[in-house]
Amino acid sequence: MQRKVNIMFLEILIFGTIRGALLALLALGFSLVYGVGGLLNLAHGAFFLITAYILYWTIPLLAAIPALSYYPLLFGIAAVISLSCVVAIGAVTYLGLMKPLQKSHIGVVIVTFALAFFFEQFVSFAGDPKSHYIVPPVPNIVTILGVRVLQQQLVFVLGSVILVTLVTLFINRSKIGKSIRAVSQDSEAAKLVGINTDRVMMTSLMISALLVGFAAVLYAPGNYIAPRIGWGYLLLAFSVTIFGGMGSIPGSILGAYVMGYATSLTDYLINPSFSEIVPLIVILVMLLLRPQGLLGKKGLQ
Amino acid sequence: MVKLQFDWESAGNRFEALVNRFVKWAFSFRGGITLVCLGGLLCLPLTGREYLVTIVITAMILAIFAASWDLLAGFAGQTSFGHAAFFGISGYFTAALVKFYGVHWFVAIFIGAGCAVIFSLLIGIPCLRLKGPYLALGTLAFALILYNLFLTGDWLGGTEGISALPNIGDVFVVFYIVAAFMVASLIIMRAIVDSNLGTILKAIRDDEVGADATGINTTVYKLIAFMVSGLFAGIAGALFVLDTTAVNPALFQPLYSFYAIVMASIGGIATIYGSIVGAFLFRLTGELLRPLAAASLLIFATILILIIRFAEEGVMNPVLGHVQDLWDKIRGR
Repeated sequence: MQRKVNIMFLEILIFGTIRGALLALLALGFSLVYGVGGLLNLAHGAFFLITAYILYWTIPLLAAIPALSYYPLLFGIAAVISLSCVVAIGAVTYLGLMKPLQKSHIGVVIVTFALAFFFEQFVSFAGDPKSHYIVPPVPNIVTILGVRVLQQQLVFVLGSVILVTLVTLFINRSKIGKSIRAVSQDSEAAKLVGINTDRVMMTSLMISALLVGFAAVLYAPGNYIAPRIGWGYLLLAFSVTIFGGMGSIPGSILGAYVMGYATSLTDYLINPSFSEIVPLIVILVMLLLRPQGLLGKKGLQ
Repeated sequence: MVKLQFDWESAGNRFEALVNRFVKWAFSFRGGITLVCLGGLLCLPLTGREYLVTIVITAMILAIFAASWDLLAGFAGQTSFGHAAFFGISGYFTAALVKFYGVHWFVAIFIGAGCAVIFSLLIGIPCLRLKGPYLALGTLAFALILYNLFLTGDWLGGTEGISALPNIGDVFVVFYIVAAFMVASLIIMRAIVDSNLGTILKAIRDDEVGADATGINTTVYKLIAFMVSGLFAGIAGALFVLDTTAVNPALFQPLYSFYAIVMASIGGIATIYGSIVGAFLFRLTGELLRPLAAASLLIFATILILIIRFAEEGVMNPVLGHVQDLWDKIRGR
């Protein structure tokens, strides 16, 4: 009995960590873009979707090249291609759609909403509306502390932690990171001291696209992809951002892991279908009790 | 003692003034066009083409839906991306009432819309803590979660939904019922927007802090806007379900919220009547694009991006403005 409870506890812990790693990747970029420019990117989930589909489409193309018979290598090249595509899409989205509409925040929201639809319809038009499966590059199963986990998921957690740390360091230490923080604090003043705010916002959108693309590259294999999945990931990013505090980077990371454990706890203790409602309950409770989020700034904008 | 007497003379005068205003409006440019279009619409069933009539019925229902979004987003400035939630909630309740409890459809529409109003309060109270873009996302989250709940849960028919509702009547009867609902809803919404309440809503939209400072209780008025919008979205949802005689969780998809936004943006945001133009254009182009089934939504998404990016005023007002200039020129003014 004791042993069974122990295993369950470990399972909750491990799957909660995996979930938290996913949520951190999703929420960090989302929160960053909002914090820097006050821009809300509803196409955030669609970035995940398009990365997963580009990956899915490039793998068979690359497999035609005989030199690339080793699957993890092929997968790596496909991943690099899809990541660079999604970062480019992020840059184009900012320059083409967000920058001209910055004056009206609602305009940005509607246009990114339309963009999310555009991607959803694009993948179901260019491909087909059915679900697909991407073969994971490292499909083995390993046992950690008596819990059976896909190696793929371990790589994902590791990659997520590394990337999140790198991005946090980049924002805290580098020169561009400094200007990102300057713009997020006061964009008018940042402009006055000669910071190119447009470029800073474009960079933050590209970082956000990179993070969400990375989540797609490592999380989508082994899970099913379908044109409608983007909305679910958007919802997750949103609830974590509300939970952790809008525009707060440590808040998003902390919120992501807390939400991850909470979701995996509900999965085990109550019912997996109940965990669908967890984001809603989190959003509701947080909005009523602490609208600025866990680590958010006072005075919600 | 004060003599209580109904003042026939002044009532008569007021009625006469109203008639005069109506006649003046009917002979003005916009009034004339509206009346001609309305007349043309009402004559449509006389052509006897059932297919065309069914298309126009959905267009009219969607016009109510788009206008309700326009009221909330265009006038009160509370952009909702979860409008499908009101639409779906009302649709489900109406369907359940008609199918399982044998309630008359006319009563069911209003009960369904009432449920949508209650639900809009439930959404509105927490979401009012969110402003601008975040409100949009919060409402989207609500609709998505409802979609998932109805999809995974097994209440009210699960994935299949409720189907085989009794028909209201002949297609042509439905046409006139829906037309009556559309005309009434849009006139009421326009009246609300032009009234004192509408002015307050516009004030909140343009400067919320300023509105607060002048003593307007912004929370209450935003909630009122949510409820009014929920009511009309609910009516549209109930009519939609009664017209298609089936309901399923797909009604909660972001797709329907997207429809409302596309239609209102095509017609012109913050015009109410633009929604009719938007809905008819949307439905008719949708029908024309039917051979390209998979691409049609892709095309609409592109159209929406382009309209928001390059023509924020939509179609109705600029086109009417140009036509009016032309008309004035023809008459030599």
